Amino acid sequence: MKFLRKILVLSAFIASAGWGSASLAAEANGTVAKSLHEDAKCTKCHDSEETKPILSIYQTRHGVKADSRTPSCQSCHGASEKHLHGEANQKERISPDVVFGAKRGTSGAFAPSEAKVQNAACLTCHNTANGKRNHWEGSQHESRDVACTSCHSMHVKDDPVMKKSTQTEVCFTCHKTERAQSHRISTHPLNAGKMGCSDCHNPHGSTGPKLLVKNSVNETCYTCHAEKRGPFLWEHGPVTDDCTNCHTPHGSTNAPLLKARAPWLCQECHSGDHGKTIYSGVNLPTGNTTTVNGLQGVANQGPAAQANARACMNCHVLVHGSNHPAGAKFQR
Amino acid sequence: MNKNHNCFTTRAMVVAVQGALLAMAAMPLAYAEEHPTEVELTQPVKTLEVGVRNVSSDSFKAGEYNGLEKKGASAIVNIDARGGGSYDSEDATRWRVTGSELGLETRNLNDEYGQQGKFKINFGYDELLRNRSDTYQTPYQGTGGNNLTLPANWLAPKVPQTNAAQNAAGINFRSFDPVVGTANGLAAGVAVVPSAATLNTLAAIRTADLPAFHRVDLYTKRDKFDGGFTYDIDKQLEFKGSFSHEKKNGYKPMGTVSSQVSEFSAVIPDLIDSTTDQYNLSLGYTGEQGFLQAAYYGSIYKNNVTSMTWQDVNDLTKSATMSSAPSNQFHQLSLTGGYNINKTTKLVMNGSYARNTQNDAYLGSSTAANGQLAWGLPTPSLNGLVVTTAFNAKLTARPIKDLSLAANYKYDNRDNQTPVNTYLFQDVNEAKSGTSIFNAALGLSNLGSNTNIYANRAYSKKVNQLNLDADYAVAKGQVVKVGYDWQQIDRSCNGSWIDCADANTTKENTLRAEWRAHPTEDVSAKVGYAYSQRKVDNYNENAFLALVPMAGVAGTGAGGVSAQAALATLGLTGFGASAAQPTVAQIAAMSTAQKFYFGANGNAILAQALYGSRNNINELPGMRRYNMADRNRDKLRTSVNWQANEQLSFQGGLDFNQDDYDNSVYGLKNSKGWALNLDATYAANDSFSASIFYTFEDQRSQSAGSTYGSTSTTSNLTGATAVSGGCYATVADKNNDGKMDPCLNWSTDMRDKVDTLGVVLKQKGMMAGKLEMAEDVTFTRAHTDVGVGGGNYVANPILLATNPATATAYYYIPAAAMPTVTTDTVELKVRGKYKIDKVSAVNLMYAYQHMTSNDYIYTGMQIGTGTNYMPTMEQAPSYTVHIVGASYIYNF
Repeated sequence: MKFLRKILVLSAFIASAGWGSASLAAEANGTVAKSLHEDAKCTKCHDSEETKPILSIYQTRHGVKADSRTPSCQSCHGASEKHLHGEANQKERISPDVVFGAKRGTSGAFAPSEAKVQNAACLTCHNTANGKRNHWEGSQHESRDVACTSCHSMHVKDDPVMKKSTQTEVCFTCHKTERAQSHRISTHPLNAGKMGCSDCHNPHGSTGPKLLVKNSVNETCYTCHAEKRGPFLWEHGPVTDDCTNCHTPHGSTNAPLLKARAPWLCQECHSGDHGKTIYSGVNLPTGNTTTVNGLQGVANQGPAAQANARACMNCHVLVHGSNHPAGAKFQR
Repeated sequence: MNKNHNCFTTRAMVVAVQGALLAMAAMPLAYAEEHPTEVELTQPVKTLEVGVRNVSSDSFKAGEYNGLEKKGASAIVNIDARGGGSYDSEDATRWRVTGSELGLETRNLNDEYGQQGKFKINFGYDELLRNRSDTYQTPYQGTGGNNLTLPANWLAPKVPQTNAAQNAAGINFRSFDPVVGTANGLAAGVAVVPSAATLNTLAAIRTADLPAFHRVDLYTKRDKFDGGFTYDIDKQLEFKGSFSHEKKNGYKPMGTVSSQVSEFSAVIPDLIDSTTDQYNLSLGYTGEQGFLQAAYYGSIYKNNVTSMTWQDVNDLTKSATMSSAPSNQFHQLSLTGGYNINKTTKLVMNGSYARNTQNDAYLGSSTAANGQLAWGLPTPSLNGLVVTTAFNAKLTARPIKDLSLAANYKYDNRDNQTPVNTYLFQDVNEAKSGTSIFNAALGLSNLGSNTNIYANRAYSKKVNQLNLDADYAVAKGQVVKVGYDWQQIDRSCNGSWIDCADANTTKENTLRAEWRAHPTEDVSAKVGYAYSQRKVDNYNENAFLALVPMAGVAGTGAGGVSAQAALATLGLTGFGASAAQPTVAQIAAMSTAQKFYFGANGNAILAQALYGSRNNINELPGMRRYNMADRNRDKLRTSVNWQANEQLSFQGGLDFNQDDYDNSVYGLKNSKGWALNLDATYAANDSFSASIFYTFEDQRSQSAGSTYGSTSTTSNLTGATAVSGGCYATVADKNNDGKMDPCLNWSTDMRDKVDTLGVVLKQKGMMAGKLEMAEDVTFTRAHTDVGVGGGNYVANPILLATNPATATAYYYIPAAAMPTVTTDTVELKVRGKYKIDKVSAVNLMYAYQHMTSNDYIYTGMQIGTGTNYMPTMEQAPSYTVHIVGASYIYNF
């Protein structure tokens, strides 16, 4: 809560510092005026009466005209002279040079331009070294003709994909199996809005597998689960190898996010000692007993611990590694 | 943790809000909404939302991540304030303060301030509460610290036995149950009614122990403070940095074992108290022809809990200590550069170097009970170091308009340089027994035959990978993509006395093809298929020897031949000979080494004491660990999108995966799954849309194992010689093939089948443009089945002290499938927003959350179930929760 107090103070400071300037509207001149003049060619028609208000772009970073990098309408949509002035023998209005959107429903009256054409317009500016698009070319999304506007909305004051609480809705538009998995009994806090897909994935391309934000699965997982990074004295081979050997991150019927149930998941690698034991419905608390006549000693009636409760992890709990000198069996 | 439990009468409120929302939903659509003015569209609006919500009942699962785990009222506080120069001004200053759920323990607050094009700073605070369980109980006292104790009057949970040996070992948590714990016992096949003394003992145990059980909420709370800045040095050079400090606290369930011998365990509330600091710095240069970025990433994890200690439920004079996750650091430098060779060709390269260190002091012998570490430690701490180097180069080109090419090479090397040492320890709470054959070799005299002599394994992994892709537009609206992937993974352990990896090298080749079509403006389709083949050069079934360096030493009586040498000479794994019991002549022909290491019959498994281990750690021959086993993989991806008209669209997709581990006799043999996705969306206009989706996913995996026994010449059990069922008719035959009995082979067939159905409705512009609503409901039904094939032998429990030879000594009990676990989940959310005027609105919300689960693992956590693990009384997560809320929104 100390942090919260600090941040509240900071919030108050930032709000009070910026408040006075909120209503300031300096006179347009210089580059601002030039850019607005270009915009006016479009906003003359595309005004506040538009069904989908486009002027909200002025509330976004794309609307800060005092920043010389800020685009005008033409920066993205092209000069679109034919759209503005028409063409001889053409009754219907011709589309702008670049029409954004993933499909007609999102691109308005005109068919969207090719994804590569749309994306080129965005990458004119969004190609900075410190950006997140260094590995865009050849990436999974780029090579499948995903347009920037397939995910991003430009003319709204808040782009849903930039906000954790609404980002998953955007990603799940295509990633439908993951959408279903996010509703399972064991999940990451995706649907609670406390985690976004982009906490693990960089949809613009990355050096890692599956567009992960880091070089490997494990490096990505350790950004939140640093306690599992070690190195431990006693490492568990599949853990250092790849977290997804055992876990499935988008949701599982087997907590905690396991690919399969213990003890059988463990037995897919361990066949010695009591890893060799058959664990079945026989001998469960609500199942059959191990004898055919149903009568046996009290001490022998209990179901196998390895098939109940936390299964193997009733005892071998430090499966991610142990740093205890006697912890080779992940019990210390 | 301070949790407010304020309650107020909810039923009336639930009904009122539900009624209001229903009335709203029933409102006819009217599209008289006024268009916002230009000023309203372009001028940032500050929003403050204040209200109250009520949760109808407690549920940690329903409130697992949303902060609504407790019954009662909580505040709704959301804020979004932004400002700065107007868009048409010369002022590029922008600031923003956003806060969400400030009234809950999942609150989030972010600030940012900057001059666009020059600099930006931001700070944030975020809380994330993950509720694990509100039904967990424990008798341990001292929660909140790292030393847990039992009440002074605690009695060891035991059931008095007629058998003296059982009585001595006899931890039995069923003694807590007045019914099960006092059931008749059997002595030499005769039912024995518990004596009055036994019943009194059991009653005394229950009286002493059960009152100690109390509830401890298990949760993890993360409080994160972060900040960052961006500074544009000039148009080409940008400096960027961020940091975060996250504090994590709470309790998580930790299974602890006090005794290795009888393997009884207790789940304790493990204290969480740690911090993670993360730093990012990057300097980027962007030029006409390319870019260059130098970056640093640091992550420093500090655990304030070094260990957990708990008293032994069997003996209050003893305690045990477990190490907690050690503090560690990770520092990474990276350099990324991109160069546009020409307009259509680009090369991007990235290299990084990282050091991951860990050097927490080991817990000493004082924390290890019963002389567990009596021989001291080779080093006071690990001095662990993992150096990870990575390199990535990607060349993309579009030589002609319709052709795109990409070549990508990746190298990632986790080089674990942690020193390797030999550690001597007893298993947990197990006294030393016997005499190790390695005493002389190690210059010691007091190692037991059950003393572990283990070397740590510093796992390294090196990945080399090449991906080649080509996309060609074969016709208008049709693209064919083909690709080839090659991957080689080398695994090893620095400092290991022998190869530690099951597979030193795996090579995988993948061929991919994909067809994408956009035949009309309204239809698109995709079909993709990939086939991969992974091969292991030489699967090493004796990799387990890396853990036990004494396998390379000839101990006393070994005739100068080490276990490793014997295995190499005989061509055997630790499982030993896999033939049935040899003949007398064959035994006589066996080498001394074979009989020393594999018993008098020469075909036992390699005895663990002969390589310095308390447990058999060899695997079955034919066992392949699936992450490095030979594998054939098929992957199919299909999808179709159809925009039927301006309003109606459909999407469908079918995915299929199959992994076959054809060369794995044991272990995971195959896994396959398919998923069907269907979506339909109807968007009548900007004011109304409805969508429905359905997903069915079927995941299945099959594995195999063997409950192999050992061979012997024993031919009866207390005189009885017959076996009922199984592969053998007599005890003699069964025991003769104990190691190879095919009836001891088992198989599992695990299957998850999950249906997910969702409906989303959105309405805007109702009530003359004042009302907008959104409703979504999701229903999920998950079935988990585990089929088990095979079986095992069980001694006839009613054998008497003496039996005729014809009596049944063993019954073969076939395995049975596990009970089907069914989990049903319903999530319904209804939100309505009514605009009172230009500056204010009212939000009403209602949520219904429901889950039922019959997961059998919780049945096993109750009193009267498990014998050798302490009940926690945790309940399967089943809940029905109503949440209603009302809030006032003020825009200014």
